[in-house]
Amino acid sequence: MIISYIKLVNWRNFRLAETEMGPRVFIVGPNACGKSNFLDVFRFLRDIAKPGGGLQKAVNDRGGISKIRSLSARRYPDVEIEIHLAEKPEQEPVWKYAIGIKQDVRGFRKPYLVYERVWKGNEQILNRPDSDDEKDKERLTQTHLEQINANERFRDIHRFFVSILYLHLVPQLLRFPEAFAGPNMSDDPFGRNFLERVTKTPEKTRKARLKKIEEVLRKAVPQLKELKHVKDEMGIPHLEAVYEHWRPKAGKQREDQFSDGTLRLIGFFWSLLEGESLLLLEEPELSLNAGIVQKLAPIIHKLQKQRKRQVIVSTHSFDLLSDKGIGGEEVILLTPSHEGTKVQLASSILEVWDLLESGMSIGEAALPRTAPSNIHQLEFVFK
Amino acid sequence: MNEIPINLVVEDSLSEAVLRKLLEVSGKRFAVGACYGHGGFGYIKSRIMGFNNAAKGTPFLVLTDLDKSDCPPVLINEWFSGQKNHNLIFRIAVREVESWLLADRNGFAKFIRIRETLIPADVENIGDPKQFLIDLVRKSPKTTLKNDIIPRERSTAKTGPNYNGRLVDFVYHGWNIRTAQRNSHSLDKTVAALSKFIPV
Repeated sequence: MIISYIKLVNWRNFRLAETEMGPRVFIVGPNACGKSNFLDVFRFLRDIAKPGGGLQKAVNDRGGISKIRSLSARRYPDVEIEIHLAEKPEQEPVWKYAIGIKQDVRGFRKPYLVYERVWKGNEQILNRPDSDDEKDKERLTQTHLEQINANERFRDIHRFFVSILYLHLVPQLLRFPEAFAGPNMSDDPFGRNFLERVTKTPEKTRKARLKKIEEVLRKAVPQLKELKHVKDEMGIPHLEAVYEHWRPKAGKQREDQFSDGTLRLIGFFWSLLEGESLLLLEEPELSLNAGIVQKLAPIIHKLQKQRKRQVIVSTHSFDLLSDKGIGGEEVILLTPSHEGTKVQLASSILEVWDLLESGMSIGEAALPRTAPSNIHQLEFVFK
Repeated sequence: MNEIPINLVVEDSLSEAVLRKLLEVSGKRFAVGACYGHGGFGYIKSRIMGFNNAAKGTPFLVLTDLDKSDCPPVLINEWFSGQKNHNLIFRIAVREVESWLLADRNGFAKFIRIRETLIPADVENIGDPKQFLIDLVRKSPKTTLKNDIIPRERSTAKTGPNYNGRLVDFVYHGWNIRTAQRNSHSLDKTVAALSKFIPV
């Protein structure tokens, strides 16, 4: 299943935004327009649905409703999210899920539901608040989505949300997890415990994946060979590879010696090979050479096709978007305005359409539109 | 009067600044949307029909350097084979956009603090304006300016490390277009084209 449509009201940068989505989506826009906040909607839904999660936790982990709500929100301060799930792109949705959230004006200032609605096909099977909610308002502090005995009739949606994966691997965190004190973030979005994730994978699967990754690395980082998962004498897991150099006996290197680019490539491929659910990738181009970045889009396509999974990527990279196989309907353009960030499919913009038609890549046709309007004055700052 | 939305296509940030400044003083209210290009002359040439196609909707303003080509009409013929869209304003700087800056002889001389007479009046006949400009700056007493504009000794770079930045600054804060128009025919025609432009 894929998320085929999303509508946001008052969610962070987005006062009112809606867009269709296909199996592969690229989110582009200037700095601070809300690319990460757009991806965060999907993490938010996962945080509601996952075990140990729930509406209260998902909102509180984000600093409360006031942090989630759009700054441009005015008269209708409810935060609303609607999502359609379809088997394939351009098909009628099999499921629709919609929630509206508000915060208590007084007292504990808890977030509570304004509504929670579920449709199976065209039939609405949940419409809260219902009579039980009217009797006991406290019930509105929890979604049915997060409760196993209440979400039985739409378990598919629950499963889909729970299995959403996000990775934005920060090499320094992976190399020196102990240097960054503090509690682990749930679901390890930044790869601090990436090695643990690798270790917990059944051996056969793990070996198969590492072998695949090694094949790629051999092309991208030719000096690296024999990528392996090993445990040291203390039982701590490591990634190890043979690093060839002029000495006849090549040296072994562990993840703390791998380059940023190598680590990010490993993380990128691991997450693409892991699972079959929606994958959110944040700026996969970071630390990578332009030649590799140009190949990322077709690689994503190839690996997602095998698993029929949806991949949503945020990017700033001209090289990534230089691939002529990326269609305007796969690119979501975010444009900041006084009324919150606008969300548009690149193909819905006539001008971009015309440029694409004449053979330009989406990077050439659409990225110039994401440059901040005053960027040409940047040079004057350091006069 | 309504704003005229317009997109730019340029060779680099210097020509972008020149176009923005020209639009600003054109007497019409242009609203600049996206700025395409920044890949030099070759890029614009290879994509010009694309921009021509997109100009069906929003107007495009393209600025390119004549460089070594013979004359503007020849270049236009070669690029468009007669099918230029009305909404595509295609302008050529003779020979380079640097000539347009030098055309304000008084302003540019003040900017680098040299005598005005060191700049010839017929700027369009300077064969390699970029080189000419750099050689002029060598005569300037302003060290920081020289460090920015003149390529460092034995460097493979063709310009100094902040060449465009310095000249962009001049475009916005020192360049007198009215004076420059008198010395550059191609600039004069561009100014006229912008003030006359009505999109279809």
